[in-house]
Amino acid sequence: MDNSSTCPHAATPNASAPEGQLPDPLAGLRIADAHLERVLRGQDFLVQDGAMGTLLQAQGLTAHGELPDLLNFSDPEAITAIHASYVAAGAEMITTNTFSANAHKLAGRTSVADVYRAAAANARAAGARYVAGGLGPIGALLEPLGTLSFEEAYEVFAEQVRAVVDAGCDIVLIETMTDLREAKAAVLAAKEHSDLPVFASLTFGEDGRTFLGTSPTVAAATLSALGVNVVGVNCSLGPEELEPVAHELLRFARCPVVVRPNAGLPRLVDGRTVYDVEPAAFAEVMSRIIDAGVSVVGGCCGTTPAFVEELAKLVAGRTPVPRAMPDAFVVTSAQEAVVLPQGSSDVVVVGERINPTGKPKLRAALKAGDYDHLVGEAVAQQEAGAGILDVNVGLPELDEPAALAEAIERLQATVTLPLQIDSSDPAAVEAAVRCYAGKPLVNSVNAKRSSLEAVLPLVKKYGCAVVGLTLDEDGIPPTAEGRLRAAERIVAAAEAQGIPRADIVIDCLVMAAATNQDEVRETLRAVRLVKERLGVRTELGVSNVSFGLPQRGLVNATFLAAALASGLDLPILNPLSARYRDTVATWQVLSGQDAGSAAFVEHYATAPDPYAAPAASPSASPSERSAESKDPVRCDSAPAPAASADPFPLPTALADAADDVRAMVHLILTGRKAPMTAATERLLANHDPLDLIDGVFIPALDVVGERFDSGAFFLPQLMASAEAVKAGFDVVRARMGDAAPIDNDKAIVLATVQGDIHDIGKNIVRMLLENYGYRVIDLGRDVAPEQVVQAVREHSVRLVGLSALMTTTVRAMERTVQLLHEQVPDVRVFVGGAVLTSEYAHEIGADYYGKDAAEAARIAERFFATRA
Amino acid sequence: MAPDGRLRVDRAEALRYLGYSGQELDVDLAGRFDEAVEACERELHPRCVHAVFPLDSERSNECRVVLAGCGLVLEGRDIARHLEGARDVALMACTLGVESERALRQRAAISPTDALMYGAAASSLVEAAADAEEARIVEEAVARGLRTNFRYSPGYGDLPLDVQPAFLDALDAPRRIGLVCTEGNLLVPTKSITAVVGLFEGEPPNASVRSGCASCALREACTLRGQGRTCHG
Repeated sequence: MDNSSTCPHAATPNASAPEGQLPDPLAGLRIADAHLERVLRGQDFLVQDGAMGTLLQAQGLTAHGELPDLLNFSDPEAITAIHASYVAAGAEMITTNTFSANAHKLAGRTSVADVYRAAAANARAAGARYVAGGLGPIGALLEPLGTLSFEEAYEVFAEQVRAVVDAGCDIVLIETMTDLREAKAAVLAAKEHSDLPVFASLTFGEDGRTFLGTSPTVAAATLSALGVNVVGVNCSLGPEELEPVAHELLRFARCPVVVRPNAGLPRLVDGRTVYDVEPAAFAEVMSRIIDAGVSVVGGCCGTTPAFVEELAKLVAGRTPVPRAMPDAFVVTSAQEAVVLPQGSSDVVVVGERINPTGKPKLRAALKAGDYDHLVGEAVAQQEAGAGILDVNVGLPELDEPAALAEAIERLQATVTLPLQIDSSDPAAVEAAVRCYAGKPLVNSVNAKRSSLEAVLPLVKKYGCAVVGLTLDEDGIPPTAEGRLRAAERIVAAAEAQGIPRADIVIDCLVMAAATNQDEVRETLRAVRLVKERLGVRTELGVSNVSFGLPQRGLVNATFLAAALASGLDLPILNPLSARYRDTVATWQVLSGQDAGSAAFVEHYATAPDPYAAPAASPSASPSERSAESKDPVRCDSAPAPAASADPFPLPTALADAADDVRAMVHLILTGRKAPMTAATERLLANHDPLDLIDGVFIPALDVVGERFDSGAFFLPQLMASAEAVKAGFDVVRARMGDAAPIDNDKAIVLATVQGDIHDIGKNIVRMLLENYGYRVIDLGRDVAPEQVVQAVREHSVRLVGLSALMTTTVRAMERTVQLLHEQVPDVRVFVGGAVLTSEYAHEIGADYYGKDAAEAARIAERFFATRA
Repeated sequence: MAPDGRLRVDRAEALRYLGYSGQELDVDLAGRFDEAVEACERELHPRCVHAVFPLDSERSNECRVVLAGCGLVLEGRDIARHLEGARDVALMACTLGVESERALRQRAAISPTDALMYGAAASSLVEAAADAEEARIVEEAVARGLRTNFRYSPGYGDLPLDVQPAFLDALDAPRRIGLVCTEGNLLVPTKSITAVVGLFEGEPPNASVRSGCASCALREACTLRGQGRTCHG
């Protein structure tokens, strides 16, 4: 939505400082000739070839299970003849027959370098004007779905790129990617190991996304920012289906766009894939796609020289339609793009909660290497409507580059919001943005020369957007004009690096009203000035304004409204606060972002006014009210059963709070975790935490375990109860700090064995053990035996739990048990999993068999009791 | 399937996966189960593919089945018996996609209980998707005057899981529905099913032999059998 005509604060081009001249994006590239250079500038068309596999199949040259890449050696004449048929049809560029020529797929059959050398020679022999060294997907999944790490993927591609260069190719062509992160690894490998132009294309499904959820918008914005010279789509679907994909790519690509469709939708007929679009119909749609601005064309599966001939005819004697450079602010994750069009007054909330400052729980979790807490914060903020998540893990005792990279890995596996990488350490920023699948926002650079020189090259290299703080060597300028000057320096330095203005966000820095009262208005004025004069986006850390004042939420919300009216685009705040959400939602009506006030009316029409007395729940905002549970058939027992129904004797130390204790036991037995926090705080006000743990939590868990054993409870009930206890434990731990009753000697390593990715059982065991006060070191799933041994040694652990779901992975369990017994003889191992039995567990050398989570807890209890 | 064409979670089946056997459920937990089921139906969109290949009777024998056209070999006496006399063989694959993996991780970050219940609901949903895909195979077979037997998955009986990579290749499943497998031959995304259906001229010889406990690799460890129940109805 573009509101530039109605928004009073939109940057009007005439008033803006002229956009600086960006350096030539083709500088430093080795470009074969002047025509290719014009192609890369979007001034000439380029016709690529069509399918290789289709023609090999038609000639009966493909055999099941054999790599077509090996035909470069075994039948070079046939490959050259196919290439030559495309050259004759008018293809200027031939892609080598190397779709599977990576170390993973070749699996030692021949060397990567040899395949590219032979393949490039075949393409040259066919008379190709340009030879593109083709790279397809590795054929193994990257983390988190698979086991290949980003750097491993990078190394696979780097070997191929070196081979492409050595073989004398003119272009590195990355194609048919479905994982944007894998594509990014390939692009970085191409950029770091060659000076050739890089083409990259993804393949999209019928829903317009790759199987990993990447849209054309995300692909175009992310890859073109990363410095790809031509971006686009190949394979996937027929030209008709790819037309909307092409339009989306054109809107967000900063470089020429390539479209290489299949000859229609693939169908399997008698085990053969067939396509049903004829060359003429293909060309008809491609003609429209070319008219829309696409300048690099070719074919993929099912296409033949006849198709390429049509394409060559289409572009003969024509030049591409001129395109405007995309000027929207865009940041992406692999699945989502946040787009702020130039001149729009849309607001996107940046969630601030992933930051250990002032958050002891997050701090403790990060110190312990536990990232689950951080992921939980991310999910909660996503559900509360944040558009971008700020990620800061800066703690003096942490290795920040490693910790930030790990946090990014965990977050991008779980949430789909684009991330704002928040660190003052350039090494940490680089570690994080390198492995991130999307186009992140880097927070931050400032106007100091040292900062500009350290951060901006990273922002450029990794295709990020960047937040610039308006401070310099002399500190934070007190006036709006001073901050504008600092912003101008940042913008000029960024543009000199080749970072377009659309990728720059300026933070004019919020000062506390309690200490710098005059500067609050200067900050607001600076936001307006920076937007009007520089045409950049603005961000502010809203909550800073209220330091030192009472009613901070009220102060923040009022400042937020004022800042939004001054043109703030990206408020950094706590999205879980209903008050801030109310302010943003209301502003979106006033600014026009909420067209027709539809969202506002839907949400607020029946909501009570929080100030109208007597409200039943004055502090509850409409957005905080959740629907009541609505299952009429199932039981809802009385909240506090009579004393006679006590499932265990109430502790004498808590006798004066018997009703509260009974209510808490009821919460635990019914698995209600939400009210546990308040219930625990109430009891802790006048009682010893240890009495609560030993007198309520543990006996209640024991009752739950007994009920589970007897069949009175089933698994979700056991787990819900354990979660309720965990909520209580969290309060106790926060209260007791380092004195918390976590016995470091009672540590247990848990892992799902190598090759197994089913870890639900292990996760259940972990939760239960933690609730009994054990320190659990969870190594995750698909864990190698050596890793388990290493963790056992590192943490001096004496008890290990292993899980395996499949019969096939029990072998890996056996290897792990053997290695443990061999290398750390005093360690004991318990095992569990669907296919295990007591006998089977014994047979593979395990010391104990945990038939379920409750049994695992008893094993641990007995183990540590006898060894205390 | 619901009237609107969307696949539905079989709640009883999902509860069975969770080990439910009539326990009294607190309204709060029951509400969370309902939420998991509804979210699953709302958020996940199954993708399926199938293809029919002629059975290569020359190269097949009592311990393997070879499919013409794709060269896929299904090893094992059980699968050979299952497809004995078949004219064609349909391969099918269904997946809930990477979205299911992400949804599970999101829930696990907040509540392992919710993740467990969502996982059970998802398992039931992918079964429903497989039922629907199998129904399409039956419909096409009937249109050709053929009869079918029940679907049979890698991992059943002595049909090994290591057939998965070639199985997926034969269906072009990685490219068509984004379904792949790990080096240990486990399907990824995990909420996925692959299966084989035999197409026969006339009555399938083994149609009465439902996918039973006798041929199941999990029979010794099965907890349902201990309760006197089965997973196949």
